[in-house]
Amino acid sequence: MIETIRFWLIAVLLGLGVFFTLVSTIGVIRLPDIYARAHTASQTDTLGAGFALAGVALAFGWEQAAVYTVLLLFFVFITNPTAAHAIARSAAETGVEPLLADEGTDPDETDGPAETDGETT
Amino acid sequence: MAVERLLVPLSDTVTVRQTVAYAVRSGLEGADSLECHLVVAMPYDADVPESDQYDEDADGLLSRARNWVEEDAGGADVTIETARLGADEYLFGPRDYAEIFDAYADEHGIDRVVLDPEYQPGVTAQLLQPLERELERIGLAYEEAPVERSARRGRLAGGTEDFDRLFATFLISYGFYLVLGDPTYWFDLLTGAAVAGIVALSLAQVTFTVPLDRVQSPLRIVRFAVYVPYLLWEILKANIAVSAVILRPSMPIEPTLTRVNSRVRSGLPLTALANSITLTPGTLTVRANNQQLLVHTLIPAAQEDLFDGGLERGIRFVFYGRDSAAIPSPRERDDAEVVGGDEL
Repeated sequence: MIETIRFWLIAVLLGLGVFFTLVSTIGVIRLPDIYARAHTASQTDTLGAGFALAGVALAFGWEQAAVYTVLLLFFVFITNPTAAHAIARSAAETGVEPLLADEGTDPDETDGPAETDGETT
Repeated sequence: MAVERLLVPLSDTVTVRQTVAYAVRSGLEGADSLECHLVVAMPYDADVPESDQYDEDADGLLSRARNWVEEDAGGADVTIETARLGADEYLFGPRDYAEIFDAYADEHGIDRVVLDPEYQPGVTAQLLQPLERELERIGLAYEEAPVERSARRGRLAGGTEDFDRLFATFLISYGFYLVLGDPTYWFDLLTGAAVAGIVALSLAQVTFTVPLDRVQSPLRIVRFAVYVPYLLWEILKANIAVSAVILRPSMPIEPTLTRVNSRVRSGLPLTALANSITLTPGTLTVRANNQQLLVHTLIPAAQEDLFDGGLERGIRFVFYGRDSAAIPSPRERDDAEVVGGDEL
């Protein structure tokens, strides 16, 4: 009985992981610009990897391997926002204009890429 | 008229004063006129939010050094140039420093570099030996100023602080080693202690840039453990909201760029806050300078959450305790606004 519940719990967790990864992929394809895409890319790492690793931990049971998966998730959670921020920041630094809702298309700016180190005041 | 051009990289050490004096003296020996270039190389992390502090320190050092040169020069013909180098680059290793000095030397026709034997760029460990090697490789003439070293700096004063850092680094690396290994097996216990010892000795100074507190620092770890489930819950909520928006055929996104002035200290707390914001789908930190976060939000709900400042309260709870967590939201204290794309 317990084993059946555990099996289905693992299946559900893995399914959720795959689902959020799929959503994130669809998001990357559908969303308009690099900033918006960076949002959805973090979904893969948070819930996608999170559910998948939770399933893995459950499959291993109370063993040391389960501790490893928690550590793995911890490092994913540290590195993912760092990478997302690095991408967004370098996009901003090279002068990529975000598509914003209230202004419709990008406001025309002719200075080209920001040359200063981007101190916004 | 022969002009001797010297480059003197400065950093805040006990021997910097003697180095400057030596540079002036030796420069005036060989030529009747001296052009003294005083430079401060900004460390690689000068780009982080506390950069203003670095800038101030550098300017202070440069103006002090300028006075020293004027003092030592007496009536001789000395021109002083000061500069801050590398503010827009990531100076990391000795090679980067050597290259930036070389570029500066080429530009200004520098004859010789006078090095402070205790030269310490930024917060990294003492760098002189490899820097000399790199300068040799590049072929830039340099000379180490013969200074009298007083006893090593701050050994006595920093005693317990150093020990705390060593101990904390040791504990973290030993703990990590044992989690990966087997805590009940004597071999792992022994090798772990050896490895952690090496790690602590070599990395303790770069791991913690702020002094540790014996009560507060462990307490922060405990509070962080409380914060993690809250963060996970926020991530889950935001994930579902963003997924719903993406899967809707009409895809009703409303991207905005917002600026939030956070009330957390620069360094680790600000990093933790910015990372938490980015980790939550729907909000993405694009820039962070001096407590000012530029956040791209994808949907209105995410923007609401950001302006309500839940994550900020969480981070304040982790680093400053429960009393500090109860602060008004960024919206209430007028620290959040929607800005246009040209703010980037």
